[in-house]
Amino acid sequence: MAAIAAIAAISLQPMGAFGPLALMFALLVAASLLARLGPWRLVRGAFVALPFMLIALPLVFTRPGDPLGSISLGPLHLTVSGEGLRAFATIALKSWLSVQVALLLTYTTPFHDLLDALRELRLPRILVSIIGFMYRYLAVIGDEAQRLLRARASRSALAEGAAGGGSIAWRARVTGNMVGSLFLRSYERSERVYDAMIARGFEGTFRHLGLRPITTGEWIAFASVLVALAAWAVATHLWWNPS
Amino acid sequence: MPPSIHLLHAPDGFVSVPIAVAMWAVTAVVLAIAVRRTNATLSERAVPLLGVMAAFIFAAQMFNFPVAGGTSGHLLGGVLAAILLGPWAGTLVMASVIAVQGLLFQDGGLVVMGLNIFNMGVIGTLGGYWLYRALAGLFGGEGRGRLPAAAIAAWVSVVAGAVSMSLQIGLTPDMPPLGLVLGAMVGVHVLIGIGEALITVAALAFIGVTRADLFELRDRSPQAA
Repeated sequence: MAAIAAIAAISLQPMGAFGPLALMFALLVAASLLARLGPWRLVRGAFVALPFMLIALPLVFTRPGDPLGSISLGPLHLTVSGEGLRAFATIALKSWLSVQVALLLTYTTPFHDLLDALRELRLPRILVSIIGFMYRYLAVIGDEAQRLLRARASRSALAEGAAGGGSIAWRARVTGNMVGSLFLRSYERSERVYDAMIARGFEGTFRHLGLRPITTGEWIAFASVLVALAAWAVATHLWWNPS
Repeated sequence: MPPSIHLLHAPDGFVSVPIAVAMWAVTAVVLAIAVRRTNATLSERAVPLLGVMAAFIFAAQMFNFPVAGGTSGHLLGGVLAAILLGPWAGTLVMASVIAVQGLLFQDGGLVVMGLNIFNMGVIGTLGGYWLYRALAGLFGGEGRGRLPAAAIAAWVSVVAGAVSMSLQIGLTPDMPPLGLVLGAMVGVHVLIGIGEALITVAALAFIGVTRADLFELRDRSPQAA
């Protein structure tokens, strides 16, 4: 929950609020170090957000403002504006920080704790069960998919530099066949899983051990994080003057 | 196992908070209906089935095939899931896939997860399914019309998801103008949608040849299962 509040607070930051965002980054790094996560892992994980930054890139050129310089790309003549550059940098920073918060959550919390949390948040039971099963069989089905990919790669060995054979429609059909057989293997596995559950006395509902109670200390920590985040968001709007 | 990165998974920070919250609300309502409908029609046997199917969709998104110039076609799977499992169960499966991608692999943000589920899970799966049924009726029943209907529905589902996402980004202040976003997103997804359609059709054809009985999976009543 604190993670979601933090991301919301980041998103609410105004344009060009680099100071507050830098402060948040410093805090996040500190928290990650406290959790004994290597900085390298966090940086690597953050690359997932990169392709999306391309969408914000045109801002650099389209936002009206004082021209800082211009680039000529053949027939295209693009003008870089200070305003646009600032908007782009803000958006890129915001999404990067948000990814960092989410990474902090997933790298510090075991998956079954996350599931318990979802259950406590009153997510419908069937959804929690599906997510739990999905997580459990992700690696199994993923390996199945890897085997199919390896099989395709070995069927289509290619001399160095030679062009690949087949039309696009043919390639798509091969891929579709792989998806189809992966579906059949998954379906049959789910039947075996269900039979195994029945054999172990499954009666239609899942039982699980009681939840670990939330301690007072955790409540206090949660509340103070919320208060700090709210203060952070309000303070930048009041006192940070981006000019 | 690196997950393939899809442009349709918006990270946090790209869409303003009010829009993200509103989309969460819409998605929550749809999911609540989907939970009720799925609980009413499927037996407890469905839970392992749907869970493994979610893992299947996730893994199937790893499959890609080279198209041209370094780009590749791959699958989102919304229409495929809906045709095989039914629209409501398919929506739950897609929502679970997107939730796990966001929680575990940072593929898609947390605050914007509601709109990610809406763009891919609700538009693609529910909308795609209704379109598929309508078209299949038009083409002379699900038996004969299955493949062409699935092709069109799969393509439309991807493009419609891209349009919806562009609108959400375009309505956010401080982002590039709507026309630009729309042009870029939809332009790319018109091509991605063709890959989606081809793979969906080929997968359905394969299942039709090997285990055609599974096409009745989604209509199977609790007693028969």
